[in-house]
Amino acid sequence: MRVHLGGHLAWHDPQKRSWIAIDQVAPISLIDLAHQLGLPLAEIAVVAVNRCTVALDDTFVSDADRVEFFPPLGGGGE
Amino acid sequence: MHHGFTGKILRVDLTARRLWTEEVAETLYRLYPGGKALAAYLLLRDLPAGVDPLGPGNVLILANGLLTGAPFSTATRFTAAARSPLTGGFGESEAGGFWGPELKMAGFEAIAVTGRAEKPAYLWVKDGQAEIRDATRLWKRDPEDVQAVIREELGDRLVRVLQIGLGGENLVRFAGLTNELRHFNGRTGMGAVMGSKQLKAIAVRGSSKYLEQAYEPKAIVEFGRRLVRLVKEHPASWDLQDRGTPGLIAGLNAAGILPTRNFHTGEFEGVDGLRWETYEKELLSGRRSCFACAVRCKREVKVDDRYQVTDSYGGPEYETIAGFGSNCGIADLQAVAKANELCGRYTLDTISTSATVAFAMECFEHGLISPEDTGGLELRFGNAEVMVKMVDMIARREQIGDLLADGTRRAAEVIGGDAAYFAMHVKGQELPMHDPRGKVGVGLGYAINEAGADHLTAFHDSMVANPESLSYRSALPLGVKKALPARELSRDKAELYGLLENWCSFEKVIGLCYFGPAPRSFIPVEEVVGVVAAASGWDVTVDELLRIGERATNLARVFDVREGFSRKDDTLPERLFQPLETGPLAGVGISRDDFEAAMTALYEFKGWDPVTAAPTRARLEALGVGWAAEMIEAA
Ligand code: SF4
Repeated sequence: MRVHLGGHLAWHDPQKRSWIAIDQVAPISLIDLAHQLGLPLAEIAVVAVNRCTVALDDTFVSDADRVEFFPPLGGGGE
Repeated sequence: MHHGFTGKILRVDLTARRLWTEEVAETLYRLYPGGKALAAYLLLRDLPAGVDPLGPGNVLILANGLLTGAPFSTATRFTAAARSPLTGGFGESEAGGFWGPELKMAGFEAIAVTGRAEKPAYLWVKDGQAEIRDATRLWKRDPEDVQAVIREELGDRLVRVLQIGLGGENLVRFAGLTNELRHFNGRTGMGAVMGSKQLKAIAVRGSSKYLEQAYEPKAIVEFGRRLVRLVKEHPASWDLQDRGTPGLIAGLNAAGILPTRNFHTGEFEGVDGLRWETYEKELLSGRRSCFACAVRCKREVKVDDRYQVTDSYGGPEYETIAGFGSNCGIADLQAVAKANELCGRYTLDTISTSATVAFAMECFEHGLISPEDTGGLELRFGNAEVMVKMVDMIARREQIGDLLADGTRRAAEVIGGDAAYFAMHVKGQELPMHDPRGKVGVGLGYAINEAGADHLTAFHDSMVANPESLSYRSALPLGVKKALPARELSRDKAELYGLLENWCSFEKVIGLCYFGPAPRSFIPVEEVVGVVAAASGWDVTVDELLRIGERATNLARVFDVREGFSRKDDTLPERLFQPLETGPLAGVGISRDDFEAAMTALYEFKGWDPVTAAPTRARLEALGVGWAAEMIEAA
């Protein structure tokens, strides 16, 4: 499984990675996956699985999936 | 003895070639401690209503905030303000970089320029002195050359140069200003105002130190040290440094609100070509910063491939990537970087320029603009080469570029037909790259902002949507009471927006970057209060700081009322009331009834008349600016 930690979510990974490859045999809920990665649920605003936006609390993912977590998205730039 | 500010405004009359200094009393400065507030006060005082924005009578204000130039992260901003040639109302734009801090060290809080030079000129400001110099040989030259020539002429390579490029000289109505080639007062056409005065540049150099004038210098030094630590420890500043705003692309696309093909949809099939991983691989050549800022969120790019892009003008931010990328249907980051470089070179606002190109593409696809108008160019969504060419044509005012250089509102009036529907603007200023259908508070900001659509009037809805999130919790000292879903459009949302707007406005007054204070980023609200006190010696509270922001917004609103703006101007482009057709938010549009009800609630929260959208006398008096009520009554 490939997991993307968007924006400041990568800060929560000890190695500050924005893409993580995980060998995950059994299906896992997104909430458990977030816990496993040390991501605070309150900082997750949007999740996409295989490029489709899904709800955090009722989705399971497995080996072949591409999962992307994104934090609240503010604006910016001059 | 006052602290934290120089107490001096440099006044310049280019027509009469006269320069003089105006003193600012502390009592006045505490009401308007710089930036947007000081600029709005000076414009209301010195600029009569109805002055031609591109005539000699307009007054261009460049104003630092109380904290601009303080030796700690994000205290870098200054405001450029005048009557806007794009909107006809209050024109305002903030920039970081180095110029504002240098002006402070040169002994001035602000510069106010009126008149028109007989021939191209530049202003040289050094340690309390100023002179007008000939810029004939600098006219029509690129900012990179201009900066080098001025530095050589003045014999000092540390001179900071604020200037306009070709877009400003050609009076493109959305031309901005640049300092150090990489920092832009992009919005509302302040570069066109400077161009109309034949003022090519303002060079500054100063030798005083901020700490010499601060009330408690030691406290400021300690605060600066704490910030260096916080920058490293806070997830938001870490992210700004690591990826910065270009990192927003993928998330906004996943949320279904990445503006695509002139806001037609919110999901772009070519997003992989624009996301951060591609940026890092194809463009990134380094990182830079503004004055004394440890965040270092500015990216450098260099390309020698499909396009040649120099590293002289800085890298594209999120707004520029979405603007020239998805919103023009283009998935080629190198083309985006080229367009960004040209905007830097010509000092064009990347938001308005890209939005104008997207508008023209949609007009072309609907047969409202023909190949004859474009000189045979196929101005279609996805045509990267033509998109880059259009930037050039706008700056040079060539063919259709001449019409587009006046912005989408004016262009749509000339083109006619459905063009008005395709013109994505508020009060004449083009929309930034955030779709209010997914974050409605941003839409309230677009609608109510005195300078037209802007994304930095408050913090975006998603930042205060979860009561457990870091950003929400850091907003609690501001008096935020309830977390609200990003798409909830209600009285509560209007009040939440109003409160956050006051805080954002305060940041624009005091000289702090949007990426500094909570809730957007790493400086806690209490620390901001503390450092304002340490700089000025004033016994301030959060409430007083919020009132400072509110006062500035009220003065800007009085300016607009004087120019004939009313509630009908506080609206959104029709397209946003229509549902998105595809993507995660397919079927979602803004309810017009909910929007109008929320706007009414927002006026009530602000103490403004919901019918006229003008501040009431009672509110202005409560803010200590009762004198401005007479301007409204006379309008
Ligand atoms: S956070 Fe970025 S834009 Fe803001 S002052 Fe620092 S370097 Fe400049």
